[in-house]
Amino acid sequence: MARGLTSRPFKAKRSGIEVRLEPHERTLLVHLLRQLDDLLDDGSPPSEDPLAELLGMPDVAIDPDVRPQPPDDPALARLFPEANRDDAEAAAEFRRFTEQGLRARKRTGARRSAEALEGSEPVLLDDEQAAALLKALTDLRLVLGERLGLQTDEDSERLHTLLAVGAGDESWTAAAATYDMLTWWQEALVGAVGSRRS
Amino acid sequence: MSVAPVEVERPEADEVVLPDVPWITIVWNDPVNLMSYVTYVFQSYFGYPPTKAERLMRQVHEEGRAVVSTGTREEMERDTEAMHEFGLWATFRKDD
Repeated sequence: MARGLTSRPFKAKRSGIEVRLEPHERTLLVHLLRQLDDLLDDGSPPSEDPLAELLGMPDVAIDPDVRPQPPDDPALARLFPEANRDDAEAAAEFRRFTEQGLRARKRTGARRSAEALEGSEPVLLDDEQAAALLKALTDLRLVLGERLGLQTDEDSERLHTLLAVGAGDESWTAAAATYDMLTWWQEALVGAVGSRRS
Repeated sequence: MSVAPVEVERPEADEVVLPDVPWITIVWNDPVNLMSYVTYVFQSYFGYPPTKAERLMRQVHEEGRAVVSTGTREEMERDTEAMHEFGLWATFRKDD
């Protein structure tokens, strides 16, 4: 697959990380980040208490008799996995006290990343924005990876091979190509963040 | 300092109080997360030096999992939550 004109989509500078994505690539990424925000919307109203939101405190009364379950959607279940494999009660308790806050912070991160990328060129990310985008790229790839049925490291390698030889139907190819591109962008952003840290 | 909320009888004054059994946070391998990103997470969240972060990442990749932190239950729940925020597949449990 052609990489397009962008040889290095993120470049570390003294003042931050310069986003060098092509305009259509930036538009696509913003669109995907907005979709991630929507996917994470479970219909609960945003908390009006900023401190409670920051701490991930549920703003509704908790019924201790109801054991919270992992989300039905496997992609969301991957974003909010069971935190204890031996003790279902401990896993449920963890979920009860963390999932809502995690969800809110992931949504905020996706929205802030999208807003940062929508700025006028040259787009420069500060360290906080770059860190948020790294997390959001991870969540996007986890969701797409789940939709593409990636279960093992071998599955991931096979995806690249199948994509290279042009196997797979149209919708699979579109999803796999997007996944592949996000992987490339994330690798580049990790590299840029690392070179600013060192 | 906080203690793990295990149900134990309050010891008598002359009983020896055993130290808390430590709890652990485990990160599991998954097919999506990049090796470079996992190393970055271990460095930026735990503050591990690059060599230790890299070694733990390799252990996750090659052995399927690695213990990334040890401490009280409360601390391990906090670390597990942070790993989930980074998108890593983490669990916590009492150490054997």
